[in-house]
Amino acid sequence: MRELELYFGPQHLGMVGNFSITLKVEGDRILKATANPGYLHRGFEKLMELRSWIKNFPMVCRINVVEPDSMEMIYAMGVEKLAGIEVPERAHYIRSIYLELARVGSHLFGLWAYANMLGFDTVAQWAMYHRDLVLDLFEELTGGRVYHIYIWPGGVRRDFPEGFKDKIVNTLHSIGGCVPDYDNTFFNNRLFYERAKGIGTVTREEALAMGGTGQVLRATGMQYDVRRVEPYAAYDKVPWEVPTREDGDAYSRIWVVRDEMIESVHMIFKLLDAMPEGEVYNRIPNPFKWTIPNKEAYVRCESSRGELGLYLVSNGGDKPYRVHFRTPSYTHGLTILEKALKNASIADVGNIMISLYVVAPEIDR
Amino acid sequence: MAKPSLLSPLKSAGFLFKKPKTLRYPFELKEPAQRYRGFHLNDWGQCTGCGNCADICPNDAIQMVEIPELEPKLGEKKERPKLDYGRCCFCGLCVDICPPGSLRLSRDYFHIHFDTDTFTFLPKDEKANQENFLPAEKYSVLKASLSHRKENYEGFVSDLQYTLFEPERVHMPEVSPEERKVSFIEQVIGYNREEAQKEAGRCLGCQLCEEACPAHLKISDYIKAIFENKTDESLQKIFEDNPIPAICGRVCMKHCEDACSLRFRGEPLAIRWLKRYVADTTKDYKSALEQKHVKPSGKTVAVIGAGPGGLAVAYFLILKGHQVVVFDELPGGGGTMRIGPPLYRLPLESIDKDVDYIHSLGVEFKFNTKVGRDVSFEYLLKNYDAVFLGIGTTLSRSTKVKNSKKCLLALDFLKDNKIGKQCKVGKEVIVIGGGNVAMDVAREALRLQHMQYPKNSVVTKAVSLEDWDEMPATKEEIEEAKEEGIQFHPAWGPKEVVLDEKGCVKGLLCMKVKSVFDKQGRFAPTFYEEKERLLEGDMIIEAIGQAPDFSFISKKLFDQLKFTKYKKVYVDKNGMTSITGLFAGGDIVNVNLDAVTAIADAKIAVEGIDKYIC
Amino acid sequence: MKDPLKDKLTSAFDGIQIQPADRNQISITANKESILSVLSLLKSNGYNHLALISCVDWIEEKRFELVYILSAYMEKDKHFTDMEKTNIILKTSIYREKPQFISAIPIFENAEPYEREIHELYGIHFEGHPRLTPLFLEREYKTPPFRKDFDTRKYVSDVFDPIPFVGKKADKR
Repeated sequence: MRELELYFGPQHLGMVGNFSITLKVEGDRILKATANPGYLHRGFEKLMELRSWIKNFPMVCRINVVEPDSMEMIYAMGVEKLAGIEVPERAHYIRSIYLELARVGSHLFGLWAYANMLGFDTVAQWAMYHRDLVLDLFEELTGGRVYHIYIWPGGVRRDFPEGFKDKIVNTLHSIGGCVPDYDNTFFNNRLFYERAKGIGTVTREEALAMGGTGQVLRATGMQYDVRRVEPYAAYDKVPWEVPTREDGDAYSRIWVVRDEMIESVHMIFKLLDAMPEGEVYNRIPNPFKWTIPNKEAYVRCESSRGELGLYLVSNGGDKPYRVHFRTPSYTHGLTILEKALKNASIADVGNIMISLYVVAPEIDR
Repeated sequence: MAKPSLLSPLKSAGFLFKKPKTLRYPFELKEPAQRYRGFHLNDWGQCTGCGNCADICPNDAIQMVEIPELEPKLGEKKERPKLDYGRCCFCGLCVDICPPGSLRLSRDYFHIHFDTDTFTFLPKDEKANQENFLPAEKYSVLKASLSHRKENYEGFVSDLQYTLFEPERVHMPEVSPEERKVSFIEQVIGYNREEAQKEAGRCLGCQLCEEACPAHLKISDYIKAIFENKTDESLQKIFEDNPIPAICGRVCMKHCEDACSLRFRGEPLAIRWLKRYVADTTKDYKSALEQKHVKPSGKTVAVIGAGPGGLAVAYFLILKGHQVVVFDELPGGGGTMRIGPPLYRLPLESIDKDVDYIHSLGVEFKFNTKVGRDVSFEYLLKNYDAVFLGIGTTLSRSTKVKNSKKCLLALDFLKDNKIGKQCKVGKEVIVIGGGNVAMDVAREALRLQHMQYPKNSVVTKAVSLEDWDEMPATKEEIEEAKEEGIQFHPAWGPKEVVLDEKGCVKGLLCMKVKSVFDKQGRFAPTFYEEKERLLEGDMIIEAIGQAPDFSFISKKLFDQLKFTKYKKVYVDKNGMTSITGLFAGGDIVNVNLDAVTAIADAKIAVEGIDKYIC
Repeated sequence: MKDPLKDKLTSAFDGIQIQPADRNQISITANKESILSVLSLLKSNGYNHLALISCVDWIEEKRFELVYILSAYMEKDKHFTDMEKTNIILKTSIYREKPQFISAIPIFENAEPYEREIHELYGIHFEGHPRLTPLFLEREYKTPPFRKDFDTRKYVSDVFDPIPFVGKKADKR
């Protein structure tokens, strides 16, 4: 059959964000896939070299629209490590609760994208609605719905407002109460099984060789989670499980996402119970006179898509000398995706890409 | 895993009959959260125009624009922030840095307009702009825009716990009241390097203080140099405007700190102590400061009075290459600074440090030389190219009540204790006056009492016409006096000094004060004649004000000297008096009566002298 | 880091510097010739996860610093050794005038996009890399844009039209 070149994206209903893949196809079968990122390249890392330590704080969250919170977290962690800033105990708990809420929100967004791509519009609408409820919580806590600008070096920006604990519990109960509906309509739906089972399989060996993290790895049965491996915030304070699946295909990955959401909700309840009283912010130095000694640091956390890292270098100045984000989608979307698309069918491109949880702005930065 | 069933989705069919969850906007509104980060609000009454919001904005969305019709108070700028919503990201850093907390975010977030210009605006709030802020009943979400907003709709506001500036000062170590009241040990110990750097690190660099300082010192620059541990550079910056940092670092009236933008919700930056830190840590000014060689001009200037004004004039003139001779009747430099501030506040070594440096530059000092006694004023006017009059106020005023001759006068008391023989004090001392000099006298008397009668119980009483809230002494001075155990008797006016049979002081008869000032705010005390009390005491010191001594000027010349309506010597914009070639500054010219204003006068006079003689 | 590995590294490679661990972070500086061997030695000793390859332009010292960040995939859950917590920052310097290096793809497959990105943003050529084609950028740049001597603000003002300042026309309050 004749070989054809097919451009998939950057605007395509089957994918989220501006990202394109050049496919070399023979009939319906993909011979070779080439990922073309760059549609959202804003040069954040260079721009951050021009701004002072605190001015970067409202900026980092914009790198990833879907889950800005772990971006804030990783930047705060990096600066704290460089400048030796301690964080109060309660702030650790608030950070963990906040990040888990963000994980739920992000996974619901991912579920929306995935269900939407498969044509499960009802489930997609539900997921979006429930994500909105989580955003309401964020609005209440931080004053912003999408870009929360909340975790800053030294702790968090404001303490919980009055009655916020109950609001979290109520919201999560109302979302959790819909899990059976989700299961009935989507997860236990034969159609989902047929569309996702065995699609885009990434074996554990492949994932390890290509630097996979997050769901990609956990869907192959490996309990690798940075929250577990190198605990930060309050993740070592309460017991929790790392959900895994065995098969490494799209079906497993989406199930891991579902289980993770449920685990996150459980974790939030435990954290809320264990949360101590006290301060939530250790004042950072005067932002106009803040310099950080000549040092480097690599910090990592588990975002909703995998290991998020930050390599931060200071040359003793009032601005970072070099910032480099290690985003999970980078490896997943460039290395693993190209591999997983090989021999797949054109109809599964979106399926594979979204199940790998590739978020384009995070790749481009 | 078993294959899931094909039928399970049917279980959700019930949703078809449920009410939708979506909001029917705009008929159903969703109230933004309490902390919502929407459009800006700015309380113009509180805003100082410091510009910290513009400095912290990551997107350069804030510009400080000058508002011509504003009438700024001391420590305020004529500017207000202007927002560009094409750039703003609503992060709220401007709220967290705002020192007075005037900038806030509201919960409004609607603005739709064809004209891009409407997206930049000067935020105000309902206090300054009732037109655009409407009560709930007049507000409609369909019209909502930057000019149609709800009133009392605050969202994200500043919280002192989460500010980006540090409201609390680094604690200044001090000698405890118990320890200090029995000796003349310097009360304030001074910052060490870490403390000074930490305190300097609080400065936001908004420069409101520089406007407020009479001598316009480059405060934010020298504070920044302290923060960077460059004390030499800091000293150089100070010396550009103030040649007596060791003196001013101790006794300055710190108008700068009254203007510091941190004062609103915290303690102002300890600018005075930081200046003192620089002066004290620099062992040798000469090595820290670069001396530029200037060509001598061949002109000579006489300076009468080696007080802050005279010293500053001498310093700045010698930098311009003029020959300067300073005359003073005291045995050392400093003028009022040498005799007035007690040793526990301003030790003589600190004065000499500054004076010696000025001397080392080539200024000639003629101490123990009283103009009018040792050298005539006319001689100076004739033989020097210009004369600067910085004589200050050297005569203490008396209450002139009955038997007031039996009282001591404040300046004599202070002078004797500081540079002469210690006075013998009584066991019960009464100090009349409520100003800073009275506090100095009282606290000094208390120390002498404790030193002279270590075993007996002693008491010092301060009597003032003014009540607590009107007392002219600074708050901290009153506080420290209280800590040391001074008894205050505010709102009592002296009527008569009561003597015993031998003619010794027995006490002070006082009357209760009705009011101190009249309706125009002039000093005109009235009393309840019938409410009298006798304060017992064996020694009375009057500290109710000072006056200048012009007795050295001949009648003929004195008649030529013009005075202002505040009874101050009149000077023109060059610092020259109505007598040609005679310049003046300091307490005889200004109403502030402090060292830094004298320096400010001196700077004007120096420019004037330079212009006049060249 | 376990001492045997440290010994192995110091004995096998000349001029390798290992800084003491600082909160789960070990910094290793190696000669540019030995980088690939160090990487494969670390990989075979458990540090089998290449998290990031980064580059820092130390313009004043006239060198580029290539940074490889490695950590360990754990074997089993619930058994945590310090090894899994450790991040290794492996650094080497290359001359700024001669920006060339060897590709690490044979050892770590996911080095591919990282090296491609560094090639594009810093202009460093990686020998043995299969496709050093542009990754993110659309335009051609004389100076690779992430180098320190590339002035972003100047570039923007040279290339693009100025942003019209909103509100210039009329000062509405």
